[in-house]
Amino acid sequence: MQRTIPLMIVLIIGIAMLVQFFIPHRISKDIYMNFLDWLGIIASFALVLGLGSLINHHIDKIRRKKEHWQYSWVTLISIVVVAIIGLFGGMEGKGPLPVQFRLPIGDKILVVKYSIQTIYDNVMTPLGATMFALLAFFMASAAYRAFRARTLEATLLLVAAFIVMVGVVPLGYYISPKLPYLAQWIMDVPNTASKRGILFGVGLGVAATSLKIILGIERNWLGGGK
Amino acid sequence: MKFWEYLLRIDRRIVFLLVGLSVLIPLLFPFRIKTNVMPYTQKLFDVIETIDPENQGILISADYDPQTMPELHPMFIALLRHAFARRIPVLVMTSYIQGPGLAQQGLNQVTEEFNARAQTNQDSILYGRDYVFLGYPPLWLAAVLRMGSDISQAFPADYYKNRTASLEMMKKIKNYNDIGVIISIAGSAIPQSWVIYANTRFGVRVGSGATAVTAPDFYPFLQTGQMCGMIAGLKGASEYEYLVSTKYNLTGATPATRGMGSQSIAHLMILLLVIIGNIGYFATRRKK
Repeated sequence: MQRTIPLMIVLIIGIAMLVQFFIPHRISKDIYMNFLDWLGIIASFALVLGLGSLINHHIDKIRRKKEHWQYSWVTLISIVVVAIIGLFGGMEGKGPLPVQFRLPIGDKILVVKYSIQTIYDNVMTPLGATMFALLAFFMASAAYRAFRARTLEATLLLVAAFIVMVGVVPLGYYISPKLPYLAQWIMDVPNTASKRGILFGVGLGVAATSLKIILGIERNWLGGGK
Repeated sequence: MKFWEYLLRIDRRIVFLLVGLSVLIPLLFPFRIKTNVMPYTQKLFDVIETIDPENQGILISADYDPQTMPELHPMFIALLRHAFARRIPVLVMTSYIQGPGLAQQGLNQVTEEFNARAQTNQDSILYGRDYVFLGYPPLWLAAVLRMGSDISQAFPADYYKNRTASLEMMKKIKNYNDIGVIISIAGSAIPQSWVIYANTRFGVRVGSGATAVTAPDFYPFLQTGQMCGMIAGLKGASEYEYLVSTKYNLTGATPATRGMGSQSIAHLMILLLVIIGNIGYFATRRKK
């Protein structure tokens, strides 16, 4: 019964969702909109579940003194602090709590804000941008070490990469005005042909897996419990 | 022999230093390179040029986070400047939880820039009349589908907790029929989902702003016309900045154009390193 009911729900709703695509009737649309509301409710539960799981994981790590357990405190404290500021201070400091305090320093007053936007601008943005910027250094190092013209295929890849890399910067236009268009051709023709093949493959794979789930052939989503 | 082997084994710290300097020096001593505009950037610009501000608005979805911000944020700024210069009503939303902060930054920057020049209330860019910030919907896909029939149902309240339906601009813009184009700025496959759920289902035009790394994913959609244009990477952003600033004579900051010097030199440096590596590889292989 524990398995039959979920399988029945998936079968009925899966087919209903398929059918409503082809029947643009008001009733069909209303049912569809209702399902979208349900989706929101399920997502809210998933959020609570995710947060609970994250907190449990880090509490467990601290309790068992696992490797780098000290960093788990950073996560937990950050969750609590950001949640308090978000819930009571608001996104832009317009919440029920005061979200700035004034520190008199000599004859000047330093205003310290602690809204979500302040944390975002001063912590999240620099950290995120730094992480991505590091990529350029690793990519350069990896390209230098691994990009070798060992075979015909590797040479073709190397030549294409050269053209695209020069073609997509303005300097390429000054080397030759035709270079950006050659780079564009590589993107438009060989790149698109391969991308399209991948897209068809992925699309067919998604359709096949969805059908298997709807028809109850694929049951991994039910979990491994008895 | 030793020299060729050295070419093969340059210390990674030297590689990092060379890349760092090739980015840093052009930033400290900027030089301007005139940009050439590529067809897909021009297409998106032309689409926005054809929108009638009296009847339609545009929806910009800031689907990016601080990690991809250096490439994508200039696109958001350039698109906002274009829309505000033409007085096209702008809806802004985001599908990333980290997106609202950046969208907020961009909106503040561009509205301040326009309002500093404004002489009258009509010239100013006002919230609720000229733009609305919808924020982040917890369930993005459901919101995208709902917006097809009613935007204020998908977003009952805007980012600032105003009732969406009560805003002046929203009396004109009810659903996708009133949206001239949706532009999703993302460092992921999100624009593809906009094509699937907004373009295919509701027929609204979709354009994209993509990082240089993810841009190749969208060429199939550009060829089929499912995407009406694309701003690709920092170069694309600089092209758009160029188009907007020349057509509307705007003098605000152009971060992408400023970054082009660094990007050009960094690309050349990487190519130089690859060439050096290959010279070392062939020289040592011949010896063996």
